[in-house]
Amino acid sequence: MPGVAIVDLSQHTAMLDLKRLHDAVVTGDANTSRTLTQEALTAGTDPLQLVNQCLVPAMDEVGRRFESNEYFVPELLISARAMKAALELIRPLLTARGDKPLGRVAIGTVRGDLHDIGKNLVASLLEGGGFEVIDLGVNVSPETFIATVKEKEATIIAMSALLTTTMPAMRTTIEALKQAGVRDKVKVLIGGAPITQKYAEEIGADGYSENAVGAVALAKKAATAAR
Amino acid sequence: MNSREIVLAHLEGRPIDRLPLMPITMMFACDHIQARYREYCTNYRVLAEGQIRTAETFGFDYVNTMSDPAREAADCGATVQYFDQQPAALVEDQALLVDKTKLVALKIPDPLGGGRMHNAIKAVALLKERVGKEKIVEGWVEGPIAEAADLRGINAVMTDFFDDPLFVRDLFAFVIEMELRFAREQVDAGADVIGVGDAAASLVGPRLYDEFVWPYEKKLVDGIQGLGAKVRLHICGNTRFSLRSMGKLGCEIVDLDSWAPIAEARQQMDANQVLLGNLNPVAVLRNGTPSTVTGSIAECHRQAGPRFIVGAGCEVPRDTPVDNLRALCAYAYSHRP
Ligand code: B12
Repeated sequence: MPGVAIVDLSQHTAMLDLKRLHDAVVTGDANTSRTLTQEALTAGTDPLQLVNQCLVPAMDEVGRRFESNEYFVPELLISARAMKAALELIRPLLTARGDKPLGRVAIGTVRGDLHDIGKNLVASLLEGGGFEVIDLGVNVSPETFIATVKEKEATIIAMSALLTTTMPAMRTTIEALKQAGVRDKVKVLIGGAPITQKYAEEIGADGYSENAVGAVALAKKAATAAR
Repeated sequence: MNSREIVLAHLEGRPIDRLPLMPITMMFACDHIQARYREYCTNYRVLAEGQIRTAETFGFDYVNTMSDPAREAADCGATVQYFDQQPAALVEDQALLVDKTKLVALKIPDPLGGGRMHNAIKAVALLKERVGKEKIVEGWVEGPIAEAADLRGINAVMTDFFDDPLFVRDLFAFVIEMELRFAREQVDAGADVIGVGDAAASLVGPRLYDEFVWPYEKKLVDGIQGLGAKVRLHICGNTRFSLRSMGKLGCEIVDLDSWAPIAEARQQMDANQVLLGNLNPVAVLRNGTPSTVTGSIAECHRQAGPRFIVGAGCEVPRDTPVDNLRALCAYAYSHRP
């Protein structure tokens, strides 16, 4: 190849390691993910680059495998864990140098509903995607969502519901946000198996996604719109 | 033939003149007698009353004791939360086996020890006494992964498959021993059929299902059949990728959730396997109309062929319009297998 006489070996090794880190996340190997992240950071790799060029694409790949039924919930969970292992090392560096999270998300499963596997995945991926996440858990009342907006200045609310009987709690929560005068302070995203785009529009939510990868894209859009 | 005879004849492959009808009702049955769901879960008389009146109103061929997944775990000492109008639930972050090492010391509770299992056994006995001659009495136990999830926390169990496979096997073995004891008492109290609910099995995918879950489900199914009862397997959610294996469990009834295409189940399982289901409980049964219900169950029947029992994919949702449920029932009463 003309013009590429000298190969920068250090660059090459770094690339290889990024590929290995990517694979460690895809295969859910948290230990390797932690080790490689530490090595990459020590070698001076930019932490944000690790997130954007490695962790995010890795979780996209995990999402793709889930969609095509190569992966199921256990694989999703170990990949999310491997990603978190990397993030734990990266996040303090980003904070220290003043990088701001894209936004602060208060996430929870709505009142009356105890399903949390999907919600947990969405929370992990949002963290991986550069958001600060406040996980309010399951069976979350409208009051708790409101308090999180008021006291912790959450900019995005993400609600999950898996039961047809608890879907209306999303509407109730949005109404309560209006009542409390904070509806325009936040973007409201919703999801969960029985939720549809149509339902999101009906109750005045700002966005819906059918999966966790889509949830991150949605949150990014919401964060941009909020600025 | 009465209801009971129809179901038994069908399971044994003898001719019957209409399809059997066995939809799952819990909250719907409770609402039907205007009771509080808290009572339905904790007082066997309320449960029996709800089941019998619902079965009689709609012409179901059976009654069942399921109310929530927490009976066994509650007796093991797990923290259970009760709600006035919702099923009892495990508190996951206080799961009994958050610390895995506690499994070694965990004792199998006596099903007749006055706890929640005992309550279910009393429900079986009461149902047997009141309608056991006319209707099938169905008891219920949790399957290996559903119960393991109740004891350990579902999120934790999912990662245990990779982190500590030996623990998963030990936990499943514990569960099977407990469930078989529970099943034995239900059979002794008069249960004709034992339902095995293994909800979380749909989440793990075919590889982990075959490697970990199936062998223990098989032990449970064989054990229950050894007690002289028939088995109805019910796995909530999408089991599409495990249908072939589920067919090999040898259950008298495979009750499919709506996400699993019946045509594929028919293709992948023995031609004689009785399939039950599986119209979408929410989109069709609750939100549809009598005519969409009829169309949808007819399609299930067509795909399943004659070895079929009418039901929804999962629990009949509360506030399902009565006319929709009646349409489902009418289909069974007006069609031969
Ligand atoms: C596991 C499970 C349980 C477990 C939950 C344990 C836990 N800690 O979560 C237990 C056993 C406790 C349980 C209990 C019940 N369950 Co349940 N359960 C399921 C099951 C099998 C899987 C759900 C799941 O985790 N899916 C996997 C995750 C990854 O998918 P997900 O949650 O949809 O999340 C994805 C997307 O939706 C999206 N997403 C999720 N949240 C959000 C949020 C935002 C903001 C965005 C953008 C995206 C997003 O991203 C996620 C990742 O891609 C489903 C059946 C099924 N296969 O769906 C039934 C199901 C949800 N349960 C059902 C029912 C009826 C119940 C009970 C009422 C049963 C009973 N009578 O006891 C109780 C209710 C308890 C309660 N009050 O909540 C029904 C609901 C029917 C309906 N539509 O109303 C289902 C569909 C089963 C069925 N066929 O009937 N259940």
